[in-house]
Amino acid sequence: MFRLIAADLVRHRWGALAIALLIALATALGVVVTLEERALRLGSARAAAAFDLVIGAPGSETQLVLSAVFLQPAPLTLLPGSVLAALATDPRVAYAAPVGFGDFSDDRPVIGTTQPLVDGLGGVTEGHSFRRLGDAIMGAAVPRALGDSFHPMHGLAEARGGVHSAITYRIVGRLAPTGTAWDRAILVPIEAVWRTHAPGTHGAEDHGSEGHGSEDHEDANHAAEGHAQAEAEPHDAPDPSEPGPAAGTPARTIAEAHRQREQSDAAGFDAPINPEALTAPDAPGVPAIVVKPRTIADAYRLRQAYRTDHTLAVFPGEVLTRLYGTLGDARQILAFVTLNAQLLVAAAVLLVVLIHVMGRRRQIGALRAFGAPRAVVCAVVWLEAVLVIGAGLAGGFALGFGVARLLARQISMQTGVVLPVGFAAEDGGAFLLLFAIGGLAALLPAVLAYRQSPAAALRA
Amino acid sequence: MPELHVSDLVVRFPGLERPALDIPTLQLPAGAHVALTGPSGSGKTTLINILTGLDRAPAGRVIWGDTDIGRLGEGARDRWRAGHVGLVMQEFHLFPGLSALENVLLPQRLATFRLAPGRRAEADRLLARVGIERPGQKVETLSRGQMQRVAVARALVARPPILVADEPTASLDADAGAAVAELLAALAREVGATLIVATHDARLIAGMAQVLRLEAGRLVPAGANPAAPAPTHAAVDPAA
Repeated sequence: MFRLIAADLVRHRWGALAIALLIALATALGVVVTLEERALRLGSARAAAAFDLVIGAPGSETQLVLSAVFLQPAPLTLLPGSVLAALATDPRVAYAAPVGFGDFSDDRPVIGTTQPLVDGLGGVTEGHSFRRLGDAIMGAAVPRALGDSFHPMHGLAEARGGVHSAITYRIVGRLAPTGTAWDRAILVPIEAVWRTHAPGTHGAEDHGSEGHGSEDHEDANHAAEGHAQAEAEPHDAPDPSEPGPAAGTPARTIAEAHRQREQSDAAGFDAPINPEALTAPDAPGVPAIVVKPRTIADAYRLRQAYRTDHTLAVFPGEVLTRLYGTLGDARQILAFVTLNAQLLVAAAVLLVVLIHVMGRRRQIGALRAFGAPRAVVCAVVWLEAVLVIGAGLAGGFALGFGVARLLARQISMQTGVVLPVGFAAEDGGAFLLLFAIGGLAALLPAVLAYRQSPAAALRA
Repeated sequence: MPELHVSDLVVRFPGLERPALDIPTLQLPAGAHVALTGPSGSGKTTLINILTGLDRAPAGRVIWGDTDIGRLGEGARDRWRAGHVGLVMQEFHLFPGLSALENVLLPQRLATFRLAPGRRAEADRLLARVGIERPGQKVETLSRGQMQRVAVARALVARPPILVADEPTASLDADAGAAVAELLAALAREVGATLIVATHDARLIAGMAQVLRLEAGRLVPAGANPAAPAPTHAAVDPAA
């Protein structure tokens, strides 16, 4: 029987291949949607794992998470330095680290932060961590060597940012791989970022005297241009209860900042890190602060405490869950479209198989005439159809997996977020269900063959 | 070897006033060699289908030995046919992609999954006997005459007591037809099978001991074949 099936499939190999391919493409479509959506969920959840609580200025929660966790440049309003100072001494906080972004080096974000976040991200696997202000730690996926130097750039090159040509960072360490956007980033001490943008002073008292309303706008524009967000805030006595861009704060322009930087000529970048600077009363502002609470209860208390008119505290996991909700809706629409495509393919395949069986009526009749039991003839027809359907399904799962991997790699290269594409147990269930449906559908031509009178078939 | 008893066999087709087949009685002794002749549309293939169990007799009785095949169900008729009837048709119904040997053994494999002992050797012997030198050759590469000889070997490999051929030489040239005609008669004699051949082929008819002639679904007496190699004992109701 198997020899006959094999010979038959070989004889009709192109037709069988075309049907299998049709089934494979329809299956792959569904597999890609499922795998990619799951990979996005898992990848983004993993990327946010080190970020229990993120605090920023009031605005979009999603944007705050996208910027602080996924390092997407965006115009974020600054938090006053006093917020960080208050968090640093809060007993509910294991550590609070600033995230200052806006500078780039070869399209890689240069992030100002502190040692606790370096440790929180997994620590340094090569070289050492920050010792001097001019030290930089590269993410695991940054293609540079220890000892390399670079000048940070305001914003991305395509956004016409200027180069801080007088500022030179030297790469002294490499971060452990995290599978997140931070693998593509270069970490520098937040103090260095402050100095880059407000050389020689931590305040903005040297600059302009615009009202704070326009400063909000200015900050936003800086960020829009990819400009450093860790611009100095002018508060002499910051208070977490007051917003960063509070009353009486002057602002600087990019041109002014550059000029001042040139004048100060990277002053003091050989100086050692001074952790006290973070809690100094005149510490500049930061766009976001990553907080590691001591307990889950502390996390909720902190979120409550910092959800004020002037600060916004979010659990990235919570924001992502909301995003997943949207993603889930999109997936359902895609799944609906995919299902319809698959139904069309199934109908087309069934039609082709039925035409094929009708075309083989004489062969089937002859088999019966020569003494083959009709159950066996029925089994031959069913097995042939099931083999083609099974090959199509298996090929579709393999093809879908491959395409999902390619897509995930593409996304990883663009964002740094590693998307773990993989099959889950439920996919095995889906495969078996599809196979069972295919097996049932294949019964139709098989039953036709079973019910066919051999004499009538031979007359056909 | 079973003998054949047919009685009151009537087959009607929708839309036709007269029955397509009307045979009050027909008897053939075991081992008979009978040619079934008659013009096109006279009911030869209908009778062949009913005698081999491919179709069920709607009325009357068709008894081979002690089995009334008209009373068997579809599956039982398949099994009876597999065990008792070797069929050769005008179209060879060989399966491309399989060798001559695989084609000969295919019905046996499908019917039993495991070949009966000696079946393979019998297939080789029969293929050699019908002049197929390379049993492993794919059937689609054979000539039409060779294909029909493979079909003859397939019909005989289970050593059936009944061998039925429907226009076995109609699609062959004269030489190939003559060779197949000789083989059919000779091999049926070798295994002692009852041979019924529906044909227009005069040479094939000449090799049969008895001739049954069908006209408009009725058997008309044709008498013993004067050119027959051995007498047989077909009995036809003269009133038919």
